[in-house]
Amino acid sequence: MASKVNNIIKARLNLNAVLRNLEVLPTLDAQAADIIRQWSLSVRFSIRGNMTTRLSFDNGRCIYDPETTAPADVSLYFWSCAHLNAMFENRANPIPLKGFSKLGFLKNEFPKITERLEYFLKPGDAQLQDETYVRVNTALSLYTGAFAISELIRFDPVAMQVGKMMPAGVLQLSVLPDGPHAHIVYDGKGGAAAVRGPADNPTATISFRDCATANLLFNGKLDGFGAIAMSDIKLRGLIPLIENTNLILDRIPLYLQ
Amino acid sequence: MGEARLKTYSYEQSTEWFKRAVKAIPCGVYGHFSPAPYVPIEAYPFFSDRAQGPRFWDVDGNEFLDYMCAYGPMVLGYAHPEVDAAFEAQWRQSDANSVASPRMVELAETLIDMIPVADWAFFARNGADVTNLAVMVARAATNRKKIIAIQGGYHGTTPWMQAPGHHGILPEDLQNVVRIPWNDVNALKRVIADVGDDVAGFIATPYHHPVFADNALPADGYWQQVTDLLHKNGSLVIVDDVRAGFRLHLGGSCEKYGFKPDLICFSKAIANGYALSALVGIEALRVDAAKVFHTGSFWFCAGSMAAAMACLNVLKEQDGPNLMAALGKKLTDGIVEIAKGHGYAMKVTGEMSMPYLRITDDDNVMLQQEWCGECTRRGAFFTSHHNWFLSTAHTDDDIKHTLDICDDAFKALKEKRGD
Repeated sequence: MASKVNNIIKARLNLNAVLRNLEVLPTLDAQAADIIRQWSLSVRFSIRGNMTTRLSFDNGRCIYDPETTAPADVSLYFWSCAHLNAMFENRANPIPLKGFSKLGFLKNEFPKITERLEYFLKPGDAQLQDETYVRVNTALSLYTGAFAISELIRFDPVAMQVGKMMPAGVLQLSVLPDGPHAHIVYDGKGGAAAVRGPADNPTATISFRDCATANLLFNGKLDGFGAIAMSDIKLRGLIPLIENTNLILDRIPLYLQ
Repeated sequence: MGEARLKTYSYEQSTEWFKRAVKAIPCGVYGHFSPAPYVPIEAYPFFSDRAQGPRFWDVDGNEFLDYMCAYGPMVLGYAHPEVDAAFEAQWRQSDANSVASPRMVELAETLIDMIPVADWAFFARNGADVTNLAVMVARAATNRKKIIAIQGGYHGTTPWMQAPGHHGILPEDLQNVVRIPWNDVNALKRVIADVGDDVAGFIATPYHHPVFADNALPADGYWQQVTDLLHKNGSLVIVDDVRAGFRLHLGGSCEKYGFKPDLICFSKAIANGYALSALVGIEALRVDAAKVFHTGSFWFCAGSMAAAMACLNVLKEQDGPNLMAALGKKLTDGIVEIAKGHGYAMKVTGEMSMPYLRITDDDNVMLQQEWCGECTRRGAFFTSHHNWFLSTAHTDDDIKHTLDICDDAFKALKEKRGD
């Protein structure tokens, strides 16, 4: 049985690293853009005694506010982190506290975008033959990893210890030649913040030769050391920042499958 | 007509070997030889073919003046005739055997004569074998659990000495290791105040030589204060001299810095590349060392012990530590001057027989990595993340050639950056 701490971390990852991808999915996938094009509402996810986040859809865009108490059109309540995690695994439903008139939307429309997100985050072998799919999966995997770091370093006991040893600096992760990019700002005090896009002056960089290389690595189909030796993955700068980031990233499978 | 420039290397055969390696060996090449810290990777060879004196040749036939010296073990030059002859003679006579060799006794006597702290010696194969033994002896002698170590200090890859989060390491492995900053006597005082009655010992290198960071010599009086505090607390002082041992002082690096530890760990340079490590200690710990059970299949191989005696003898004849320090100073002074001429500032830290150099014009070591890579692909094997090593086989001519390489590498760096 998952411990309380594990459930807290998993819930934070589900929201702040996975669900957060809804911000960017419509910019990567035309079908996702079509789904949300006419939406104009906000949905709040509140976990008792824990975090509250909000997704806002407007004018074809999605904005994710972590840790906000701002009002929303629909408010979904969860008794616990385990309850939220169960919803992510289709084993439970949230408790709607507000927006009863939108229940139809929640039941019929909202799942379309989360299912689209799930489609791109859980690839099958056949889908990975599709170049367009690979591009989206790669970007979402990169962003999920980056945002997961800022959660794990705060809550995962091992990642917390790793984070405390890390110097201040900015690690940029780039898929060449045209992106996606993400960067993680380490504060040197055990904290980190993830940002989509390239950094102005990174302290260290991990660059993937191309999207296919990054995708193979993200999906566990590439030996990273071999790829480094073959220059398919290039490391530069403060290597301990990269090594310690990898240690934190290696914690993700303990919480997310 | 343009200025003559040095030829740069390529590594087709190294790459082919690596492709085979990753299919047969986890990581291809693992540990401190793994490609990860070699940046840019295309500047470095992965596989060597042969070595002689201060040089090695890779599988592509490229020749390198080696300033990593096998990460320390090569101290007299590769294939040193006296050391190799001593090894070969003993190896032909008997290496692995069912009982111990007299060479072990002779080598122990040699170390006891050479090293003022040493009243006894114990032998193994790798540095970690004896750092582990030292910690076990300290725990056995004090009946205490905790070991104080320095943040960023390296004493091998045994779980107790690894950093949290590394694969295969349990939180329990680390619960009796307390890390404090180097040169921080107050931090040591705080640990002693907090958990002093459970502190078995303090382990540190004689000076701080972490990777990816400037090296730091002991502050004036640091070691004396440390030993006084620990001894007053009933705790032991362990010097991990695995990397620096016999490059700073033949009596152990503590002699250079003027203090007396209780235990000293040696390896790397002790036998000029033959696998051997040694723990030496004070008389008061002889019985505790005898009680600790610690052994290995190859720890009694006599060839390495014969090689060690020859190696230490040559080091003594050559006044090795001072020779290497002088060579290191010549090299680093030269590099600093050349860098200055190209508009770069270079910082040199650590001891000159194993210096750490860093270009200070960037705050992310990328410039340093590029420059080390440019030097390496021209034949001076420099890493950017780790201190370098001098050997007694490096000559003034080698240094001069190396400085020519450094100069050309700076030119290449400036061209790349459009300066």
